[in-house]
Amino acid sequence: MNDALKFPKHSFGQRVKTMMKVDVRRMLKSKVFYILLAVALIIPIVMTVMMTMMAGKESTDPQTGEVTVMEGPESVWESIGTLPTDEAAEKPTDGEAQMGDMDVMAMCNINMAFMGVCVFVCLFISDDFRSGYAKNLFTVRAKKGDYVVSKTVCGFICGSLMLIFYFIGALLGGAISGLSFGLGTLNIGNIIMCMLSKIFLMLVFVSIFTLISVSAKQKAWLSICGSLGGGMLLFTMVGMITPLNSTVINVILTLVGGLLFAVGLGVISKTVLKKSSLV
Amino acid sequence: MNAVEIRNLSKSFGKKQAVNGLDMTVPMGAIYGFIGENGSGKSTTEKMICGLIPCSGGSIKLYGKDHTDPSVRARVGVLIESPGCFPSLTVFDNMMLQAENLGIKNAEKEVIKILKTVRMEGAAGNKYKNCSLGMKQRVGIAMALLGNPTLLVLDEPLNGLDADGMRIMREVFTDIVKDGKRSIVVSSHLLGELQKVATHYEIIRHGKMIREMTASELDGDCRTYIALKADDMGKAKYILGGKLSRVSEDEAGYIRVYDPVTPEETAAYLYKNGVTVTEIMTDKIGLEEYYIDLMKGGK
Repeated sequence: MNDALKFPKHSFGQRVKTMMKVDVRRMLKSKVFYILLAVALIIPIVMTVMMTMMAGKESTDPQTGEVTVMEGPESVWESIGTLPTDEAAEKPTDGEAQMGDMDVMAMCNINMAFMGVCVFVCLFISDDFRSGYAKNLFTVRAKKGDYVVSKTVCGFICGSLMLIFYFIGALLGGAISGLSFGLGTLNIGNIIMCMLSKIFLMLVFVSIFTLISVSAKQKAWLSICGSLGGGMLLFTMVGMITPLNSTVINVILTLVGGLLFAVGLGVISKTVLKKSSLV
Repeated sequence: MNAVEIRNLSKSFGKKQAVNGLDMTVPMGAIYGFIGENGSGKSTTEKMICGLIPCSGGSIKLYGKDHTDPSVRARVGVLIESPGCFPSLTVFDNMMLQAENLGIKNAEKEVIKILKTVRMEGAAGNKYKNCSLGMKQRVGIAMALLGNPTLLVLDEPLNGLDADGMRIMREVFTDIVKDGKRSIVVSSHLLGELQKVATHYEIIRHGKMIREMTASELDGDCRTYIALKADDMGKAKYILGGKLSRVSEDEAGYIRVYDPVTPEETAAYLYKNGVTVTEIMTDKIGLEEYYIDLMKGGK
């Protein structure tokens, strides 16, 4: 009872540490987190196995009689990223088709994790406001910046884990389907750089999703729709920024970009929280 | 130094002025009853004290510091509208989250201690969504009590509580402020219950303070009345109504006389008119009636 009028000050590090502890605890108790990781692991296995099974099968268009041969993946690494081909640039007439092919490949691979993580971030943040937990939180924690940092880091951890799980799933799927693990012109360094670039790029997406979620507050549907829309604008660039033949330049570029986005959008998120009602 | 000092506070939502130049002074060690009709601005004021909504104007000081100061805010316990728990987590896990938020050492021990205080230790493993309304309210109060707060801000904490729950809360409130430093701001429509514990009151209407007073000032302001029962209640009421100006019948079936007359005079007058008084006593109006009178513009 003697400490009634003691008001100890805590440093930014201490504050973020305790908040992170709470958020990580919540994340580890969240079903959505485990569902997303399971999806990230299973999807590449299912997709790789199915596409390999269907490879080489012919289908005939009943109207035109045109026969199409289903193409399957040739390498395990196709699930991880795409490789920009010189031919696409050299053949302007085929360029559109080539780009179209690349877009489909770019969307139906590991890059889906960038959109998947928005579900986690939006639900994670909207739950705070929907349950009223935000009231308890922001009463005792006046610094809104701590909240933004903590949520961004949690989203980043979840996103990175999704990428890693997808990577593992792709390897397992490839092994089950008997696909080639050959690197061709690439080397293992490129694959590591590619994964690192994707992980750092996740920071950009998570920052966008965090900003949209703190603006939408308890309206999870609004934050998910907004995040999917906002994320889609950048989504098509993921394949180009983080190709399979990534180098240190890609890693540095995505790291700097990720940090800049996180700081910039973090400041905006903090301002949104400061200026708006939290209940 | 006061626990809470609010000066000229205002808050508007678009064109609607929810709080309009409100003043409030909560001394240290006070249980401050914050009273007003629905939509009068109580919850909005409490949310502003807790920094949950930004103020449009005015100032709020908590223990001499600005209410946005993180060090003082870390010592505020709050229960506003709902306890703020995650439905799918257990009561214990929800409490642990808040304990970790507050950076409490030996969090588990502290959580168990607080749950025992509100008699919820047996339901610690229950999922929050499976708790009854009264249990949820107890959890909310337990959450507010975590971390040994210096200031408690409670919005309708007694709603949904059973008689035992209300008694426990009264004991908890009294215990918290007994060192004379901690304070509680509590709003409630259960004025009878509030009167049992509150040391200070503020009555607001349309976002403005109507009256701020201590419990003893309220006691002095509450008028006395004579309550009586007679062998012929109808005739007694008719006779008294003909002579006195403020006569009414209460819910318990007593005739109440608010005019400045003694019980002896009243009984004698009725006896003279052929009515025998069977029961007579003097009493004071409670906070509830005082409040209703005040809202009607009476004294």
